[in-house]
Amino acid sequence: MSRHNRMITRRKFLKTAAAGMALGLVGSPSFSVAKEEYDLAVISGEPIAATRKALEALGGISRFVKKGQRVVLKPNMSFSRTPEFATTTHPLVVATVAQACIEAGAQQVLVLDHTLQRAELCLERTGIRDACKNIPGVHVLALQERKFFREIKIPQGKVLERVEVIKEVLDNSVLINIPIAKSHSATGVSIGMKGLMGLIWDRESFHSQYNINQAIADLATVIKPQLTILDATRVLTSGGPGGPGEVKKPNLIVAGIDPVAVDSYGVSVAPWYGQNFKGRQVEHLLVSHQRGLGKIDVEQLKIFKEKA
Amino acid sequence: MRTIIQALSLLLFSIFFVLATYKLPNWLPADIYLRLDPLLGLNAVFAAREIISRALWALVTIGATLVIGRFFCAYVCPMGASIDFLDLLFFRKKKRQGLKAQASLRKVKYFLLIIFIMAALTGLSLAFLMDPMALLTRFYTFFIYPLAITLINLILDWLRPLFQALGWVNLSHLHYFQSLYYMTAITLLIFGGIIILNRLVPRFWCRYLCPLGAFLSLISPLGLFKRRVNEDCNECLKCQKACPMGAVAEDPRGTHRPECIQCRTCAKVCPQNAITFPASLSLGGEYSKVDFSRRGFVYSLAGGLAVGFVATQSPFTLKQSKHQLIRPPGAIPETEFLRTCIRCGECMKSCLTNTLQPCLWESGFSGLWTPKMDSRLAPCDQNCYVCGKVCPTQAIRSLSLEEKTHAKVGTAVLKKEMCLVWAQNKICLICDEICPYNAIVFRPVEGYRRPVVIASKCNGCGFCEQRCPVKGESAIVVVPNGEIRLKEGSYVKEAKKLQLEFKPDPGDDKFILEESGFKIEEKKKKEKNIFPEEKPQPKKPKGFL
Repeated sequence: MSRHNRMITRRKFLKTAAAGMALGLVGSPSFSVAKEEYDLAVISGEPIAATRKALEALGGISRFVKKGQRVVLKPNMSFSRTPEFATTTHPLVVATVAQACIEAGAQQVLVLDHTLQRAELCLERTGIRDACKNIPGVHVLALQERKFFREIKIPQGKVLERVEVIKEVLDNSVLINIPIAKSHSATGVSIGMKGLMGLIWDRESFHSQYNINQAIADLATVIKPQLTILDATRVLTSGGPGGPGEVKKPNLIVAGIDPVAVDSYGVSVAPWYGQNFKGRQVEHLLVSHQRGLGKIDVEQLKIFKEKA
Repeated sequence: MRTIIQALSLLLFSIFFVLATYKLPNWLPADIYLRLDPLLGLNAVFAAREIISRALWALVTIGATLVIGRFFCAYVCPMGASIDFLDLLFFRKKKRQGLKAQASLRKVKYFLLIIFIMAALTGLSLAFLMDPMALLTRFYTFFIYPLAITLINLILDWLRPLFQALGWVNLSHLHYFQSLYYMTAITLLIFGGIIILNRLVPRFWCRYLCPLGAFLSLISPLGLFKRRVNEDCNECLKCQKACPMGAVAEDPRGTHRPECIQCRTCAKVCPQNAITFPASLSLGGEYSKVDFSRRGFVYSLAGGLAVGFVATQSPFTLKQSKHQLIRPPGAIPETEFLRTCIRCGECMKSCLTNTLQPCLWESGFSGLWTPKMDSRLAPCDQNCYVCGKVCPTQAIRSLSLEEKTHAKVGTAVLKKEMCLVWAQNKICLICDEICPYNAIVFRPVEGYRRPVVIASKCNGCGFCEQRCPVKGESAIVVVPNGEIRLKEGSYVKEAKKLQLEFKPDPGDDKFILEESGFKIEEKKKKEKNIFPEEKPQPKKPKGFL
């Protein structure tokens, strides 16, 4: 699989590099401005093609990543399970985004998560390290030591006053969240907003000490990804977040700037526990919406839909 | 020459030790030094009363000793190498007078050997206390290995600013998992004691105490190479002083043959070049007898039996009748396990998550240093099955991943009065989130959705116990109830027979939802006041309004 993947990526790489150069020569900023109007890009298709298309639809990765910038990608790689369990982000989606960032001139791309299970196993079994290993400038790291985190204050926090966050997230200018959509036995679903808990040190207090839904919203006031790319190629609709559970395959990539909107759309892509839900029915999304962190009603979003 | 071989052997031992991780390939016997040890082999075979295939490797050592003599101690034994090298480091310049009671002290190792063998015959595995291979592996596991990790991490921390400045991303985030073990101090004391004894005479341990050395010396008289001194000897006695084993007799032409380890130090120091080690088939000689007194022999026989008996008596058998320990997956039934385990610590070294810890007194005298799972400290990872792979006596059976998954070590039990969800209505799901087998589900109970353990899906891995956010003792603990301990045969079959299932499946959250007539009312709730407690909503999955 990995060889197959590499071939495709190389071809894609050359094509896109050529395209990028052409674009740069022609220099038409109006092209990207025109596409900025969409709130969400929802692309169906194979992981690599769909991810590329989604980035394009939002105006290209260069809208978010400028030359020389440092980028943090936050996929879900918290569990030492292979991709078919749908507990972790698809490695090809992560690799495609990482590649795009490098192509856009990023100085460095860090793929980070504070894993729940032993770091090296997570890196190994999720396939994410393997998928990214041939892209120069991309480093996949699972951090499980407190020294890699730094405490920040949460001025608008309702239940959380301070939180310890992976340093690179605070020091880097660009954060791209690449979650997977999963059912979650405490928060209903775990998509992008819940996934940001993978960037903090003390995840457990969210469950034991605080109201988790408010805490997620609190966190979202200080950790604001510039872009959220939801890997809905597979969705874990029950048994989440750790699995094993029922895996559905909508084959979608949902990308957008508004984290609540992406998650809200993510709720609608598959039935959860056999039932259809809306974003508003997910408490932490509703709370986040009510606190002004994003749009929640999918009907009011401008969505670019296409097949890749 | 000898020093080089010794150093290589120690290096090889260390390499095998380092390689004993969850990535160990199936063909690589990381425990080879332990397998080659005939004392550990005999001990396990006698105590367990059956032939253990891996212990047959010891025949290699026995055969070589029969042919060559007691070369093992001088060239192969990593403990001997450690003693020699540390001796050089600490005591090289110290004057050592030698011991007057040399002759009687020498007997001690034979008595110890007899005690260990007798204890093994009564079913008590005891040789681990003083077997050099087990001792050294334990010392490496509980001291050297965690210390090395600490030092490496310390150095990495010091260099981190440099790595960051150079932009070496991977190095600047490098950190090795720090294993910790409960019996580090005691293991260090024992090893330190062995080294300090060298202050009295070189290789004090090997001369007087080592039961493996005793065994090898007993089977070495047929050995081909024997020390011979020719007429050039001028009785300068240099060889006598230099011999690390004190094997040169009062008359330097004579050799205490059972003590001679063929290190050839004497030949090297002899100014006359009068000493050679030719191949010879001659037997006997003035100093070739192992002279332990009949009385001492009988005493040690009795001593071994007595220890074997006493070890089964209270207070040495704490909790043994209804043992409360979670043993590693694949551990054979408890009685056989205690008899077979040689306490080398290899399983604990290789354990991916560090859940395997040595027992002190938890299962009495007969359970010293045996591995137990400490689920509060760490869980057993579902992808790792190395502990059986490295067990030299197969007290933990070497299993395939699937077999190991079905080797249930216990069952998680939820303590409702401590559980945040049951006792305080909090929204906690960590045990459910982390459970790799979906053995924990939320069910509507009295208006709330509560976590429940499905025993038939729990194989006791302990993720829930480790992750439970309750401070101190976990609100969900793994108990040995339901453990499967098989001496032989398939765990998968046994688990099927017991109708257990540890396979990934869709989970029964969905099933429960349908069963409880789950329906979502269309009217949207817009309650803004959020309490930290869960509101009674038995019919909806958590997190949905």
